Amino acid sequence: MKLRVQLQCKNLHGYLKELSPDVLDRLYNHPATCLAVYRELPSLAKNYVMRMLFLDQPLPQAAVALWVKKDSQRDHDECVSVLAGLSLWHSRQLQGGLQGYTLNPVFKDNLRIALLGGGRAWADEGSTLGPDRHARDIESLDRYAMERWEVILHFMVGSPSAAVSQDLAQLLVQAGLMKSEAGEAPYITSAGFQFLLLDTASQLWYFTLQYLKTAQSRGMDLVEILSFLFQLSFSTLGRDYSVEGMSESLLTFLQHLREFGLVFQRKRKSRRYYPTRLAITLAAGVTTSTSCASSCSNLTSTPGSGDAGFIVVETNYRIYAYTNSELQIALVALFSEMLYHFPNVVVAQVTRESVQQAIANGITAQQIIHFLRTRAHPVMLKQTPVLPPTITDQIRLWELERDRLQFTEGVLYNQFLSQADFEVLRDRAQGLGCLVWQDVAHRVMVVTSQGHSEVKRFWKRQKSHT
Amino acid sequence: MASEDEVSLLVIVVDVNPIWWGQHAQREPEFTLSKCLDAVMVMGNSHLAMSRTNKLAVIASHCQDSHFLYPSKSWKGADSGADDASSSGDGKYELLSVANNLIAEEMRNVMSKTEVRGNSTDTLLAGSLAKALCYIHRVSKELEVGQEIKSRILVIKAAEDCALQYMNFMNVIFAAQKQNILIDACVLDSDSGLLQQACDITGGLYLKIPQKIALAQYLLWVFLPDSEQRSQLVLPPPAHVDYRAACFCHRNLIEIGYVCSVCLSIFCNFSPICTTCETVFKIQLPHMVKPKKKKLKQLA
Repeated sequence: MKLRVQLQCKNLHGYLKELSPDVLDRLYNHPATCLAVYRELPSLAKNYVMRMLFLDQPLPQAAVALWVKKDSQRDHDECVSVLAGLSLWHSRQLQGGLQGYTLNPVFKDNLRIALLGGGRAWADEGSTLGPDRHARDIESLDRYAMERWEVILHFMVGSPSAAVSQDLAQLLVQAGLMKSEAGEAPYITSAGFQFLLLDTASQLWYFTLQYLKTAQSRGMDLVEILSFLFQLSFSTLGRDYSVEGMSESLLTFLQHLREFGLVFQRKRKSRRYYPTRLAITLAAGVTTSTSCASSCSNLTSTPGSGDAGFIVVETNYRIYAYTNSELQIALVALFSEMLYHFPNVVVAQVTRESVQQAIANGITAQQIIHFLRTRAHPVMLKQTPVLPPTITDQIRLWELERDRLQFTEGVLYNQFLSQADFEVLRDRAQGLGCLVWQDVAHRVMVVTSQGHSEVKRFWKRQKSHT
Repeated sequence: MASEDEVSLLVIVVDVNPIWWGQHAQREPEFTLSKCLDAVMVMGNSHLAMSRTNKLAVIASHCQDSHFLYPSKSWKGADSGADDASSSGDGKYELLSVANNLIAEEMRNVMSKTEVRGNSTDTLLAGSLAKALCYIHRVSKELEVGQEIKSRILVIKAAEDCALQYMNFMNVIFAAQKQNILIDACVLDSDSGLLQQACDITGGLYLKIPQKIALAQYLLWVFLPDSEQRSQLVLPPPAHVDYRAACFCHRNLIEIGYVCSVCLSIFCNFSPICTTCETVFKIQLPHMVKPKKKKLKQLA
């Protein structure tokens, strides 16, 4: 039994695959979603889609299989399964009994629109409103977005100054990032700690996924808000867009996005909104899984605030964090011991105890390393590997120390009357593959809980025979 | 799969030689320059759509000069795009429609300013390629820490080769090879020996398309995949390469000629002094029957 809950950050692809085909079909009705889905495909599959984009007849499967060289056949099969999984490719019976592929017609039309134009505009242009007297430049938008987002993070770590709406707090609880007992202020869970250590893009994506999960219970149309989200991620930074023609539920959604800092709206009733960089990097952050090495660095740096790259890690287990942000300092303190605190820098020491403590809180070594890597100082980024291998290895080893015990649920069988009884039952359990442990001398054995009923039945039959 | 850190830059060099396109429009009215540009835009859009980090540049190669169609000077960059409401008002992705409008507008500018002087009717392809290399160099210097760039050049070639540019062209090719930049060539009309060499040396693809009207489909099919995906896909086999060099004296393409032993300049006629490095070939020619210096050399 694994005691801690691993925070899973799914990518867009994994999310979409779980949706039913007709939801997908409705999603593909918007050019923005088509483009977003297209960008998520493996590169080979992207080329397949492009090749078929302007073909109206189905292609025989045999012909498609010849597109790739022999030794890349595996990549080909993977692409085909991905395309079929997202129901982008449909199989068709060709004349003459051959199996052929066509592109999903809805997807094809809308991707064409996204690429080449035509069709309806995505949203009413802000220009119909005339120029904004309170127009925002990009810097202030960035600042605004980061502020909003940090308020949420601050709220999670329980800073007294951070206040969020009831809705948001509830969402955090539903997402399992916080726990709330009746009448008390919600407090952070181990999943919440893990969440804090992710980079901004992944946090955002995880959070959005959680939001989408609860969207239907709020009476929102999943397709509608997903389309809007993708549309946002393809909009231009620093431009205003009009809320004209948006449905009631979409307007509520917009207010939520406003609270997360994904869009800027001057007033609640304002007729225009500005997407922020958070919204625009949303779809880009989708692909970055926790395993990718330093690739998230450019994403974390994009939000343009001071938290881009401020950590220096030395081989003597010292961490220098050049930041003033209380939040970032708190995050570093999650897995290290604070030594000194200066106006612009804190110095911390990674120790066995501090890492063990973090791991006891449900944070994994991988997450600590990822945190350090994605927030590495530009000077650190220049060297390869970014983090000193001694540190990363040691953190992993400290984690392994805790994993010396493995928990397996089971049922104990003891007090056998004879050695023969014990052996019969043990052999039976072994045959079923559910024997966990045995001690012949003491006539004791443990059987997994799944196998217990089977073994018990066998034992009863055995007894009635004799 | 390409990681987020990898910037893929595609520079498309389009031959817009007005003389060739004018003559061609009379022969085949169904395939004009605007059709060709449409295909280029489709190609460019597809490249940009593939990934957020993909970048595009389009250069028009004219008779006497070359112009950047995209990104152009008049464009202030996507981040300050608040003032240009050049979005087409339909379902196209904003970035793409801005790019396309810009390309069309710049092209119009270039064409309206055209005045063909004298008899220089050749496309200035070597110059455009050099510009492309410079642009690639600039972009790669502006990258953030930790980012890598993979760049390639796609030439869409219409008019005939120009042997006058042989030297410049070869220099560009070797510079590209050194920088690991692929040069792809999509040839509309007659085969180009220079481009064949360029593609062969840099590891790019050379394709003379059989049907001009299907240009867009050829571009998407053959030239859209980047080098990584090309290793997986079955693509047209490499063409037979014409490795003839141009002589330095008359710019003729020759198979056999004279090579200066000092600077390796190529001549179609024998001359006692090398015109490039001014080496005097100290050979006595007692009898003209067998000059010792007359080195026959296969240039391949």
